[in-house]
Amino acid sequence: MSANARLNQIAGQVASSPDAARQQLLEKNPNDIVITAAFRTAHTKGGKGGFKDTSGAELLAGILKGLRERSNINPALVEDITVGNVLAPGGGATEFRAAALLAGFPVSTAVRATNRQCSSGLQAVIDIAHAIRAGQIEIGIGAGVESMSSQYGPGAVTEFSELLESHPEAANCKVPMGALSEKMAQDRNIARTKQDAFAAESYQKAEKSQAAGLFDAEIIPITTKVINPDTEEATTITVSKDDGIRKGMTAEALAKIRPAFHKQGSIHAGNASQISDGAAAVLLMTRAKAEALGQTIIGKYVSSAVVGVAPLLMGVGPWAAIPKLFEKTGITKDQVDVFEINEAFASQCVWCVEELGLDKKKVNPRGGAIAFGHPLGATGARQVATIMSEMKDEGWKVGVTSMCIGTGMGMAALWVRE
Amino acid sequence: MLHYRTEGYNGYAIKYSPFFDNRLACAASANFGLVGNGRLYILGLTAQGIVGEKWFDTQDGLFDTAWSEIHENQIGVASGDGSIKLFDIALNEFPIMQWQEHQKEVFSLFWNPIQKDQFASSSWDGTVKLWTPGSPRSLSTYRTNSCTYSTSFSPHNPHMLSCVSSDSTLRIFDTRSPSAPAGPAGMMQQTGTMPSVSIPVSPMAPAELLTHDWNKYRPETIAVGGVDRVVRVFDIRAPGQPISELRGHNYAVKKLVWSPHWAGVLSSGGYDMSVRIWDDGVLVDAFGPGHGAGPGGPGTLGPPKVGKMLGVFDRHSEFVAGLDWCLFGGEGWIASAGWDESVWVWDAKAVMRGVRVGMR
Repeated sequence: MSANARLNQIAGQVASSPDAARQQLLEKNPNDIVITAAFRTAHTKGGKGGFKDTSGAELLAGILKGLRERSNINPALVEDITVGNVLAPGGGATEFRAAALLAGFPVSTAVRATNRQCSSGLQAVIDIAHAIRAGQIEIGIGAGVESMSSQYGPGAVTEFSELLESHPEAANCKVPMGALSEKMAQDRNIARTKQDAFAAESYQKAEKSQAAGLFDAEIIPITTKVINPDTEEATTITVSKDDGIRKGMTAEALAKIRPAFHKQGSIHAGNASQISDGAAAVLLMTRAKAEALGQTIIGKYVSSAVVGVAPLLMGVGPWAAIPKLFEKTGITKDQVDVFEINEAFASQCVWCVEELGLDKKKVNPRGGAIAFGHPLGATGARQVATIMSEMKDEGWKVGVTSMCIGTGMGMAALWVRE
Repeated sequence: MLHYRTEGYNGYAIKYSPFFDNRLACAASANFGLVGNGRLYILGLTAQGIVGEKWFDTQDGLFDTAWSEIHENQIGVASGDGSIKLFDIALNEFPIMQWQEHQKEVFSLFWNPIQKDQFASSSWDGTVKLWTPGSPRSLSTYRTNSCTYSTSFSPHNPHMLSCVSSDSTLRIFDTRSPSAPAGPAGMMQQTGTMPSVSIPVSPMAPAELLTHDWNKYRPETIAVGGVDRVVRVFDIRAPGQPISELRGHNYAVKKLVWSPHWAGVLSSGGYDMSVRIWDDGVLVDAFGPGHGAGPGGPGTLGPPKVGKMLGVFDRHSEFVAGLDWCLFGGEGWIASAGWDESVWVWDAKAVMRGVRVGMR
């Protein structure tokens, strides 16, 4: 045989095929960190939606109870629960522990709160995955919750000292989101028309998905009380649908809304994420454990990346985090079936999508935070519930969730649906 | 740790003599086996290190070698020109026997450790052939119809002939079954002996298999390795899934060998230039004799065990292609050969930090 044939043979053994990384992702190993349940509550409008009179801890208790019942996990086996939250005083650590007990978990199940701003829910899920991977626990729940109705406002940020203010980049950390996003939109030349078109699509996709009942599988209905502001009468309702999805929204209709932060600005209530209440929770364990317990494995956590960016450019976070995730995992954007990138603002999201060269059809196929809300600490966990559900429906296998993070960071995580 | 340089020749295989504890053979090829000569080195382990006692040059590259189990001076080689040659190391230069039946490169040669008048070869031509030194023609031919990189006999049953090939399949033939008649040269046989066992090793993501070996203590256990970098351990009684998986190699696994002393331990080497020592995770005590495996042992259904890497030998600076454990003397001595023109003889215990061995 010719030397060429021999060379080709050996080259074939060394080179990995273009899809080898994806194939490797899909392999099943006993020590994989798998998800056996991922659910969220409906997201409702801050101040007037179905959860306006429900505290964050009650929302959390609702989703934890729902997760426990739907997954049929023995609550005594859950060793730790990490909850992402941004606004609650003290991170919500006290009332979240109480919420877990209320949800039917025994005193032996530990609870903590974590805060990485808008990625807190994702960070909570990842923290649990890593605790399992490191052997600290075997079974855990990563969750996120935010009651923006009750806790959103100026009080959420501590006053900066003179020393912090004296450092320009440090001082930038407290610039309000709207102001800095407006500045980024100007700096990066992201036209309002482009933002409005992106936002309108988010509404349209969400409206269509809701009408088709596509969110029903990921939402656990929560029964709560709501107070009529006029009569102060409390009534009991069951909230099972996102109530922020405006019907029939078009780019033209959005074009009429006045800018919120600058007269000449481009960002307004219609092309930014909504202020909402909501919660989400994800049950994780090793594959070997899931199989031993007879839990239904729906997917697995693969890897994640976190990056810092300039505080004033916090919106570019996904643009920085997603390539780092790819570098770590050896896959490319073409090998990913779907991206859930949080729509903090249409401006930053559309910019990231375009800069990364992502196929728009693969991004937020069921709409995003512009259409149904961004309860800050919940969103990262909510995206996991959403991506698991949509990957199942569409037969997709590989998904990425990502978001920008206030004070200038980005996170991205890679998930496999099974 | 001892070193020998096979200058100008890139190592493809290394084997300890089954008769002498101080003799090794290394099959090597010029120009990485792509084009050019082959050379069989006969090496002696002496107080002064490794000494090249003799070598035999061949026209084409050599990809494997196997010592005769019945004659201490005889050794076979697998050649790139499709030939198998038998040398007598007491003689010089020329082989005492030569067989030319394979249509393409012969990649593997294995002497039957029980029925010692038999050996087997496997080739790129998609066949495995059974031979006896006394006969000028093969005894039988077994077809895989895909490039067959490695063949072996069970150390527990002389009639079980195994092979792995580029179609990601582990096959076991029973050599007592009637085989296909040897047809005209080059003609593809449509009929032939069916393997008695045929295991698709990674059906979800098939990858070329380059090497395999039978466990020396557990008669139903075989480890396979190849391009997908994973070493999988199968119990051939329950071949639906591996009983254990060993992950760590960064590139294809070219050669793996079970320890002759420790029931649960194997070494593997490959294109990532490393040799790794593993506990396959199946036995409670990998360094024990391997009998009476406890709960979770062979035959127990459940997810594959996760093998544990015990150590890495990283002195090779090119692909590792040949590996063998020493049968004699202290446990744990390994010889390795690679494309860096290097033969290393080293003690696996030295790379297994924190692992308690040799205490029994």
